[in-house]
Amino acid sequence: MDLQVFIDLQDKFDRETSLNESIRDAIKEFDRVCRLTSAKLGKAHSLTQEQGRETVESVKPRFAEIKQCIAALAALIKPETFYKYQDRWTNAMQTACALVAFSIYLGEARLATPEDVQQYLGFKVNTENTDISEFVITLEEYLHGIISLFNELSRLAVNSVIVKDIKRPQEIAAFASELYSGFQLLNLKNDSLRRRFDSIKYDIKRMEEVQFDISIRNLA
Amino acid sequence: MSPCKQQIMASFNAYRDTLDAHYDQRERVIKCSRDITALSKKIVFALLRITQDTPEAVFKDAAAKHKQVLELFAKMAVELQGSNAMKYNRQATPGIQEYIEAVGLWRFLEHNQLITKSQVLEGLSHDVDGQLQPLVAVTDEDYLLGISDLPGEVNRYCINSIGKGDRDAVIRCLEFLRTLKEGVSLVLCTRKYRDLEKKVPVLNSSLEKIEKAFYSMSIRENEMQHFSAAPPAEALAMDVDSRTILT
Repeated sequence: MDLQVFIDLQDKFDRETSLNESIRDAIKEFDRVCRLTSAKLGKAHSLTQEQGRETVESVKPRFAEIKQCIAALAALIKPETFYKYQDRWTNAMQTACALVAFSIYLGEARLATPEDVQQYLGFKVNTENTDISEFVITLEEYLHGIISLFNELSRLAVNSVIVKDIKRPQEIAAFASELYSGFQLLNLKNDSLRRRFDSIKYDIKRMEEVQFDISIRNLA
Repeated sequence: MSPCKQQIMASFNAYRDTLDAHYDQRERVIKCSRDITALSKKIVFALLRITQDTPEAVFKDAAAKHKQVLELFAKMAVELQGSNAMKYNRQATPGIQEYIEAVGLWRFLEHNQLITKSQVLEGLSHDVDGQLQPLVAVTDEDYLLGISDLPGEVNRYCINSIGKGDRDAVIRCLEFLRTLKEGVSLVLCTRKYRDLEKKVPVLNSSLEKIEKAFYSMSIRENEMQHFSAAPPAEALAMDVDSRTILT
């Protein structure tokens, strides 16, 4: 009985090492551009609704960069091995989806659909539980992105009052409430999606508090 | 309901259906994996009876159970087509590893060899349009983690063999574990692999136990030869109890 089995495995793992490094570098770059975009988009919190829309326009080139990063990453991944590596980039992808959701809300006051995400990020959101034959954005990643939106919305409600836009919190809260109803239709298991879903209610609460503060002082 | 809300509700209804289907599929894989694990353990127990029964009876029993395991794999294979194989690998791998441990032990007992990944896949194959194809995919990681669980069972076989005075079996076990240890160390040189690293302490302690057992056997042999003129009773009275050495 010789060690050939293990020597062969060693060789195979050696060859995989360079692929792993490429994937790691691609994800690092993807992550970096997402953070940059997030910082720029975050400025909208200190601006009026109109200025917010301008910010969204100015961030469009960043989305083009993100799109390129994802394409570079996708080029390294063979579809059969997609789920083997997906855990490595899933956080960055969730952030990217969150950025799309926030951007679309700021610009058009509506929910980003999977088609929007596909347009911004360049890859389809896999909304069916089927076999995949290409690089996709998973439904969980999309949903995680939407959940992040709630936090931005509650901050936006608070910041709207600061920039003296008293009507906006009402619109934001109404939208958040509709979106939350949608989320409550899901049957979630005890995973990260469930945990983040549980945090939505705190954002809803904050928005309701802003509403209450405004109405009790007859400001709106 | 506003049109906006209608659209949201319609979308999320669809997402719910997708997630439900995904979770249900995952559950089915988990159930299959558990059943495969249970049956594989039964194969191991059957194989370990080789120190009491005849090899023919033992391997016949194992073959019958193996046939049943293949049916379970066929059931699991339905959920693991295409990209789903990797998608649910974390749920499927415990069963796959237990199975590899079972057939690995079998290969060692029957042929004194370390089973290869292609032999594992051969065992898992069925006829598809005149060609033999494996029912499920086995990743290198599945394979490595599966065989790295062999030391525990080989250890049991070795201890049973000592009780029967089967010196050759002990030697075989020793060489097998030494090769396994060297092989696993080689692989760990190339990559960081935490799950595999966790198996190393067990491998080391199994190897130590077998070396101690072989040691006590060798000592006793030397004593036997030394006292070959003396009555057997005296020699046995000075016997080193194998049980105390091995605990």
